[in-house]
Amino acid sequence: MKYVKLPKENLDAFVENLKTHGKVYGPVKIGEYYSFQEINNSKEMSLEYSRTMIPPKKFFLKLKERLFTFNEEKGEYKETLEEEKIVVFGIHPCDINALKLMDKIYIDETPDKYYKMRRENAVIVGYGCHPDEYCFCHSLGTNYAADGFDLFLHELKDGFFVRVGSDKGNAIVSEISELIKDVEGSDIEEFRAAERKREKEYTLELNIRGITDMLALAYESEVWKEYADKCFGCGSCNLVCPTCRCYDVVDNVNLNLKSGERLRRLDSCMLRKHGLVAGGLNFRPTRIERLRNRFNCKGSLREDTLNCVGCGRCTVYCPSQIDYVEVLKKVRGEL
Amino acid sequence: MMENVLLPKLAKIVKSEKMTAIERFLQVEVLDKKFAEVFDYQPGQFIEVSIMGVGEAPISTCSIRTKKGVIDLCVRNVGRVTNAIHHLNIGSLIGIRGPYGNGFPMEEMEGSNLLLVAGGLGVAPLRSVLQYALKNRAKYKDITVFYGIRTYDTMLFRDEFYNLLAEGDKLGCKFYLSYEDSKDKQCISLEAEHSERCMCGVVTKLFERIKLSPEDTYAIICGPPIMYRFVVQELTKKQVPPEKIYMTLERRMKCGIGKCGHCIIGDGTSIKYVCKDGPVFTYWDALHTKGMI
Repeated sequence: MKYVKLPKENLDAFVENLKTHGKVYGPVKIGEYYSFQEINNSKEMSLEYSRTMIPPKKFFLKLKERLFTFNEEKGEYKETLEEEKIVVFGIHPCDINALKLMDKIYIDETPDKYYKMRRENAVIVGYGCHPDEYCFCHSLGTNYAADGFDLFLHELKDGFFVRVGSDKGNAIVSEISELIKDVEGSDIEEFRAAERKREKEYTLELNIRGITDMLALAYESEVWKEYADKCFGCGSCNLVCPTCRCYDVVDNVNLNLKSGERLRRLDSCMLRKHGLVAGGLNFRPTRIERLRNRFNCKGSLREDTLNCVGCGRCTVYCPSQIDYVEVLKKVRGEL
Repeated sequence: MMENVLLPKLAKIVKSEKMTAIERFLQVEVLDKKFAEVFDYQPGQFIEVSIMGVGEAPISTCSIRTKKGVIDLCVRNVGRVTNAIHHLNIGSLIGIRGPYGNGFPMEEMEGSNLLLVAGGLGVAPLRSVLQYALKNRAKYKDITVFYGIRTYDTMLFRDEFYNLLAEGDKLGCKFYLSYEDSKDKQCISLEAEHSERCMCGVVTKLFERIKLSPEDTYAIICGPPIMYRFVVQELTKKQVPPEKIYMTLERRMKCGIGKCGHCIIGDGTSIKYVCKDGPVFTYWDALHTKGMI
């Protein structure tokens, strides 16, 4: 890894440079929530943010997007994919690790052209964070992004300790060589001390040891009914989850009934239609099955990691106050 | 340029024949010559069929490839897309993607007996297994087929299977038929004609008629979800090991490539996407993946 230092007073000039690499998005406070929005300068951002409601997946797997158009008279399917360069500034480690999980599905297995192209056209600038009472990323090992970014900024008293994570990141750093400095011993010590301090700030713990077996053993447990009774089945947890990526597909027809477009949009496994097949058979007909499926999906092993990064969003934004960590403690029999 | 796997390729309907009140046989030919060269599929695989403006649905192949660029489908009119498929004329344009799924392990099963157990529309994917095995007849020992229907009217590929019922042994396959409606006159007369191969009852009743050697037999099942448990019970009673019982499952396979998430099954220890990890699974898979059957 290459390390450099960005003095605080140069942050705005740095953001100016990033604008030459694409539209810059950063965490902006809207009402009481945070959201990744297009920004013009660093002052518009709230870099001390806890978490955005919608995770950065929205830049890559769009909440709703056109896949292609079709025309029956011409007999054609036409790809309508447009390239756009973007910079996402201020992504927390959990969300970077979530993107890495998404990459496994959308790039490493049969690549999805839409997702892959957008990932390749994006610059990821990570930003160090401090946990609040909902964060349990340290239990999952996702509280630190070892890779998956182009640049990563850790705040120091008078600047930012910058990790350069890719050749793309290095190219940016070379463009702004007059804005950056070499890291000194005192910067490294400050970074290390801050990381040591951060490790101690976590208050929420999730024991993931053997969680896959605990979930399988709790398959018939009463826990699912207890929480399904509370659950509205609204799908908010899916929408805000940085690793939820189920999508639905619909065809929209133009008035001539001959041409139109195929759209895909984010779907939710908490909705009744998710397991429904033609003819009316539903493989997850009740909320109990759907809730259980969601927890089993999140708690399943994908290679060496779970399908959850501990960002806390599903708990924070659940209108019924279902606490993700509490459910898993019950699954384990701790509560 | 990178391939867009979600973009369907154009194909046209070259054959569309009514089989029953709700099922049609369709033959589809891809338009692109280059794609036709490479378009190949194995028994148990499926394709995604797109109808412009209506949507997309997964349909499994019901035959082996006999001609470049051509695939046979047996489609039940059961939803929006399949209803639209039923109303297409010869020459109509559709879109296809695929083939997808793992298919049946035809090579692994070489040197063994095959027992195919089909219920209703489940006979469609198993027909491709049967065709493959008969084409490569020397590679397999005994081939036995159980086909369960409700009534004579619901019987698919009627001429073909009638022929197997009457002459199957000569063609290298023992074909058994069960029917559920005890008052069905046509079925009763079939039973009268071929009493040793045709009987009234559910498909599992046919197990009474055969001697099964569990050490060298693979069972292959496809039918309505309820059928699997009963067939597996019979096979287990006869000592067929779980890893030699293959079944192909139905789920909502919207994308076919393990991304859209609808066909997910399982628990924390074993999550499967039917479209990508299946649709063919063994009974052992079902034993350690909750919710599979």
